[in-house]
Amino acid sequence: MSILFKGRKQGASIDKVGPFQRLVMFFTDHLRQAVNSLGELYRTPFASLMTVGVLGFSLTLPGTLYILVKNTEQISEQWQQASEISLFLNDSVSEANAQQLVTRLSVWDEIASVTYISPEEALEEFKALSGLGDAIEYLNENPLPAVVLVVPTSKHATPTAAAILLDKLRQEREVEMGKLDIEWLERLYALLDIAKELVFLLAVLLFFAVVLIIGNTIRLNILNRRDEILVMKLVGATDAFIQRPFLYTGFWFGLLGGVIAWVTVSAILWWIGWSLEDFMALYQVKFDITGLDAKALGIMLLLSIGLGLLGSMLSVKRHVKEIEPE
Amino acid sequence: MIKFEQVSKTYPGGQNALSKVSFHVEQGEMAFLTGHSGAGKSTLLKLISIMERPTVGDVLINGHNLNNITRKQIAYIRRDIGMIFQSHQLLMDKSVFDNVSLPLVIEGHTRKTIAKRVDAALEMVGLKDKARNLPITLSGGEQQRVGIARAVVNRPPLLLADEPTGNLDPKLSMEIIRLFEDFNQAGVSVFIATHDLGLIARMKYRTLTLKNGRMITDGLSQAEEDLLL
Repeated sequence: MSILFKGRKQGASIDKVGPFQRLVMFFTDHLRQAVNSLGELYRTPFASLMTVGVLGFSLTLPGTLYILVKNTEQISEQWQQASEISLFLNDSVSEANAQQLVTRLSVWDEIASVTYISPEEALEEFKALSGLGDAIEYLNENPLPAVVLVVPTSKHATPTAAAILLDKLRQEREVEMGKLDIEWLERLYALLDIAKELVFLLAVLLFFAVVLIIGNTIRLNILNRRDEILVMKLVGATDAFIQRPFLYTGFWFGLLGGVIAWVTVSAILWWIGWSLEDFMALYQVKFDITGLDAKALGIMLLLSIGLGLLGSMLSVKRHVKEIEPE
Repeated sequence: MIKFEQVSKTYPGGQNALSKVSFHVEQGEMAFLTGHSGAGKSTLLKLISIMERPTVGDVLINGHNLNNITRKQIAYIRRDIGMIFQSHQLLMDKSVFDNVSLPLVIEGHTRKTIAKRVDAALEMVGLKDKARNLPITLSGGEQQRVGIARAVVNRPPLLLADEPTGNLDPKLSMEIIRLFEDFNQAGVSVFIATHDLGLIARMKYRTLTLKNGRMITDGLSQAEEDLLL
């Protein structure tokens, strides 16, 4: 309805369309503008690709790190469940005595499995893991004690039950020292927390940069179409109407950037998956990187679209207003 | 329809574009605004289309004071005013049809209405067969007529034209003015700024004259003025 001329109808109210049809028109109009904005990107493929690339690659780094941290957490959860007890035996205990201990322990109700690791085996494993390799050859004697690894049944694997079991095991005369492998887990968790915090900070910084880059790209788009915006304002276009195509451009930047990020993260994880598998095999842990599922894709796309929209919104709010006919 | 009450406009920097201008153009009237360049014609039109705001005084359209119009409402005000520019202000990379349909698209009409009305508007200005052309392929007079079609396509009650015949020869100028007369006869108020005194002289319309930002005559005899005020 016109402000100046009472009774003068404007817009769809003249067209005698019902509310349902008007709703349909609303969506088709938006769809048309969305497709038009995509067409604009297609017409300047190089510039568009650069912007989409920046967005995609900026999301790749935090995305990859996040999924790695998440997976490490999952693995350590597996470990916590199996909470292993290491029994370090007296130096005086012979191998035969040690085997007797293993036989005795294996019938305990609380214990799922018992493994004997001789000092020689322990040394071999240490060589492989530490990477010290040849340096160890120079040792006159093996400094490592024999170890019996005790895995409690799942019922006795909780931290408190395992601690009680440990006390009981310490009573055995062959045992010099018993250790519940929980401490290092706590340390790992602390490290993971720091890693998560760093990933978060990195993500925030990169997101901020992305918003600025999108904002600047949209600003250039707006300035390029300055004449068109002037004419639209002269014939009565509202700011909202003028802004819409640019917001859709931001949306497309976000969507395409998100897809790029997802593809790159997948590629990176697939690549490092090989070396990670070798590494994790040393710990007898099966390491399948998970997390790149539909949900992760959804989150990544939403985040990316959100950033694209935010960048374009900040830009249009400012610059569309600035262009006024003179 | 258009009423100025003691309107002054001073641009930043102290340039006095208009000083205490008062006049009243009635509904359904066709009037010319003239004066040498720099006399304030463009400023006066800009105050009507709210491209500028008066420093002092009130501009009223159909009794509504434009000083009360907020920034957000300006777009809706412009939908009631058909504007024609000397420089046409056409989008050169869009077809004639797209240019003319712009005001209707902005108002959110159905495709059907848009096609119908654009056709009618192009018919009126005699460019029906050029709908698919780009404006750049048209002559100056034709481009101006595209601008006019765009200004009238949503049937505004008021038409403003700033030097609509500026770049045209006398014959084409006359054709354009005849078009305005047609719209005026259909009940549209028409207000045309021009420095083409020869053109005005050939017609019997009311002529308001600006000189150095002052209105030296508003085209009415003293008796008529007494009747109006």
